Amino acid sequence: MIRKTVKVLNKHGLHTRPCALIVKTASKYRSDLVIKKGSIEVNGKSIMGVMMLAAEHMSELELIANGVDEEYLVNDIVELFATKFGEE
Amino acid sequence: MKVLTAKELFENKGKDLALSLVTEPKSLSNTIQDDHLNRPGLAISGYLGYFLYKPIQILGETEISYMQTIKEDVLYDRIKAMFEYSIPLIIVTKGLSIPQQVEFLANEMNIAIMSSRLSTDNLISSLTRYLKEYFAPNKSIHGTLIEVYGVGVLLTGKSGIGKSECALDLIERGHRLIADDLVKITRYEDTLIGTQVNDFGCFMEVRGVGLIDVERMFGVEAFRKRTIIDTQVELLLWQDNVDYERIGLTNNYVDVLGANIPIIYLPVSPGKNISVVIEVIALNHILKNYGYEAAEVYQRKLNEKLQKKNITNKFGKTFD
Repeated sequence: MIRKTVKVLNKHGLHTRPCALIVKTASKYRSDLVIKKGSIEVNGKSIMGVMMLAAEHMSELELIANGVDEEYLVNDIVELFATKFGEE
Repeated sequence: MKVLTAKELFENKGKDLALSLVTEPKSLSNTIQDDHLNRPGLAISGYLGYFLYKPIQILGETEISYMQTIKEDVLYDRIKAMFEYSIPLIIVTKGLSIPQQVEFLANEMNIAIMSSRLSTDNLISSLTRYLKEYFAPNKSIHGTLIEVYGVGVLLTGKSGIGKSECALDLIERGHRLIADDLVKITRYEDTLIGTQVNDFGCFMEVRGVGLIDVERMFGVEAFRKRTIIDTQVELLLWQDNVDYERIGLTNNYVDVLGANIPIIYLPVSPGKNISVVIEVIALNHILKNYGYEAAEVYQRKLNEKLQKKNITNKFGKTFD
């Protein structure tokens, strides 16, 4: 199991497009992904769940991956956050 | 393109359009290949540039009374020049009689003339409707057409994927089948109309059972003869590495005979209840037509929330 903390760097926060990107990326892997924000925990492969977080600019999220390819999954998701989902 | 002979027109619409033949019957073999009509006023006056000779020519009171004002020999020359183009058919309205030399030339040069008792306006509108319908582009495709809550849903996909079974399930839920396996699609203007290819009634094939008669089995309420095709649903076998639509912010369209209809690619896997999803697709289509896009509304709400949080973080004030 891997835990990693990421920060939402893009200005508009996790709106629909970034959420869809996260879910699309996470669904490529066999491992499970849980995204935690404060006390809310959601499945990283469920679009409604990720959107429910309503994670705003500069908020912190915890990624918890569990499975055979957890490392690759987390790296991929971290990369998405670091590149601001291709936004400003 | 389809062709319509003057004879077919005379036989099919002779009564409705109150037609009678003026020229000799042999001219009835002329073929019409255009769904428009033309009033050859300028051609009669002698100007033949851009003369639309392929459509049916309509001679109304204006044209006939104009012909009567022209000198006989001038009229003869002009009509002859006009008839050099292979006009398939001329229809004279209001039962007016045409000048002798026009009839003579038409027989000579094998151009059909018919006379209609209808007024020009009425003839033009009824004839246009008939021609549009006759020349409407159509094709038959492999699929199942079913009307769900009044929305025509065309189910397509590889054979054996479960289109017919899905249709049966929808019939059970009170929806109506139009055609199974083979659907004839005709385009009128921008609408696609789906019908059966033959008129045998509503039979369908169920794997392992054979042919069944839907009308006998489920009653007349389970069957319709034609419907407008509003949306297409393509059933695809579920594959792990394919991205399926998750939010619904993008609408896909498919071109059918030159008309665009929305298409949804629906992944299916054993044990999934497709018919409920088809019902949802139909209802969502109705909502979208009324201007309500669920995905957009959700997106707007989420953006509002994110913006509020941003402002709160900046100014330390809550707005909730």
